[in-house]
Amino acid sequence: MVVFGYGVYHYLGSLKSRVTTEKAVAPAKAKFSLPGSVYVAQGGALYRLRAGSFQQIASGGWTQPSPGPTGQLLAVKREAQSSDLYLLDYDGHVVKQLTHNANTDVHLNHWSFYPRLSGDGQTIYYSWDPKDPGNFYRVDLAVYAMPVDGLQRQARAWTDPNQYTGGDVQPAPLKSGGLIYAKFGLTPDGKNISQLWLTTRAHATGTALTKEEDGCAQPALSSDGKRLAMVCTSAGQPSKLMLADFDGKALGPATVVASGLVGAPGWAPDGSGVLYLSGQDTTGHFQLFFQDLTPPAQIPAGPAAPASAKPTGPATPLPAPTPKPARQLTTSNDYDATSAPAWLAG
Amino acid sequence: MRQRASRPNQSGKVLSVRFVILTLIGFLLTGGAGAGAYFLPALAAARQITDVGPPNLGQVTQPSAPAIAVSSTLQPFTVLLLGSDNDAKFDPNQLLTQSMILVRVDPAAHKVAMFSIARDLYVPIPQNGTAKIDKAYAYGGARLAVATVQQNFQVRIDNYVWIGLEGLVKLIDMVGGIDVVTSNPVLDDYYPDDIHSSDPYGYTRVAVLPGAQHLDGIHAMQYVRSRHSDLRGDFGRSVRQQQVLLALRTKAKSLTAADIPDLASTFNGQLKTDLSLDRIRALLPVAAKVQTQDVKQMTLLNYTVGENIGGEDVLLPSDWAAIHSLVHQDFPS
Repeated sequence: MVVFGYGVYHYLGSLKSRVTTEKAVAPAKAKFSLPGSVYVAQGGALYRLRAGSFQQIASGGWTQPSPGPTGQLLAVKREAQSSDLYLLDYDGHVVKQLTHNANTDVHLNHWSFYPRLSGDGQTIYYSWDPKDPGNFYRVDLAVYAMPVDGLQRQARAWTDPNQYTGGDVQPAPLKSGGLIYAKFGLTPDGKNISQLWLTTRAHATGTALTKEEDGCAQPALSSDGKRLAMVCTSAGQPSKLMLADFDGKALGPATVVASGLVGAPGWAPDGSGVLYLSGQDTTGHFQLFFQDLTPPAQIPAGPAAPASAKPTGPATPLPAPTPKPARQLTTSNDYDATSAPAWLAG
Repeated sequence: MRQRASRPNQSGKVLSVRFVILTLIGFLLTGGAGAGAYFLPALAAARQITDVGPPNLGQVTQPSAPAIAVSSTLQPFTVLLLGSDNDAKFDPNQLLTQSMILVRVDPAAHKVAMFSIARDLYVPIPQNGTAKIDKAYAYGGARLAVATVQQNFQVRIDNYVWIGLEGLVKLIDMVGGIDVVTSNPVLDDYYPDDIHSSDPYGYTRVAVLPGAQHLDGIHAMQYVRSRHSDLRGDFGRSVRQQQVLLALRTKAKSLTAADIPDLASTFNGQLKTDLSLDRIRALLPVAAKVQTQDVKQMTLLNYTVGENIGGEDVLLPSDWAAIHSLVHQDFPS
């Protein structure tokens, strides 16, 4: 009987919901293989996915890996009060610390996020928080550019963020020079907005690629620069992963690839598909998904919108051909959803 | 012979029946003891959670009696959510409420309305002159906070829930974190470093990046509490607080009665309410039926003007009639 009472106690415990009990595990195996190598972040560690298996290559605050100069990765190492950009080799060894943002005075620390290599491989674009001498409470990120082989003091601001909004983030450099980035702002009635902008030179006003109400961010250009993946919230939740053609000046109509808790798109090196992260079931842990974009599911190259100062954005998704269903690569992991997968050919 | 032969049989049957009954009782008792042991933390916490201890308010309008039976949970009702910084900087008996959100739940229609009240709103507080509305809780606990909101906004409040900083962090961690699409980069160079810190007056830097993500308790707290680098200040974080409440509602869909003991022991004095456990249990399924598009979110942005009174930055209602008109769309008087 005592055993029975003990059993009742444990049976009741077994009825607890999964949300309270399920913990994420370290990446080990993917459900299927992808060509090349994919770098992802989970719990401050960087993992490389190659031939269907994950290998941890670095640990201790790492996030946001992206392709760097030949044979190297760019990545962010985050500490409690600051974060810095690094160059790593493909095995996760530090080649060079690019920024030095730590300071013993709390408010004199800086953040560096979202490093991206320019098309010509000479410049690193990233988001950084300059200090406002007029108001020390203001912290907005702006997009900066620094030479790959230079020093942080050579970095120059490229964008002028809206004040007290969080600022400008997620640069996506164009091969032709210039970049697309996400600018955050507020509407006159106080609603948060995010919008993709195209700018070809530092401090230029540039061109809005999407409408305010579409709430787009997280731009990712395909390697040929002709297609853009982005995440739009339409000023609400959940979010949508969208694709649109890009002619170098404006976006064509957009197609919804996935919706829900989705984000962090990263292109296949040959543009044949997109990896993204999506929160799954009640645990909310983010898993890797692959959307195959090869024919017949390939998004048709619709007529590109003419260059215009007016945003052409993704407000009206195209009635697209039925795409191949997205395939889930992982389960039970919990990837850092603010860190897009970096997919390299080698 | 037949009688003689039947006696032992009858006696045996009686013994067998007694044995079965006693065994069943034994199993019931031990099973009940097992269940009792399982739910004991919830019962103990329930006594603590529902112990409001309000001061005597004299003639102050008392909040409506919360005696709403489980069977009447389909009736719409209004809850005042109160959130306090209750770290070591503050006298636990005189806490301000940094967050005040009126929530109207219509279980039958599956609709929810949320209305954030700016903490700096300068209003009459019953029997306590005029002050920022966040002081009402410090002056007279939940009852005075409820009475102040009822009096100024001319609404009827059925229940209240108060939660401390650490309670919210624990609650979010207990449900495994929340999933949100954070609206913008939330950065703060002067964020209070008062949880799990040896110096409650210290500060730290936070950066919550934008986009869909999974937040644990500490990072969700940073997201809803930071205000220094938001052009809208307190209004901005009110919007984020409502967003996190909705994310918690999503998690509540998955909770079962078996989770109640863990939930209850999580709070450890960090939550007070006059909602009964029965009602909370009955409301869990309601959370699953409310769709995001059926949740209306409101703040007082554009309904107040900034002013300095006695060296204190406050917000004055710009037009009470307009505010009442806004509030009464969803919150009955």
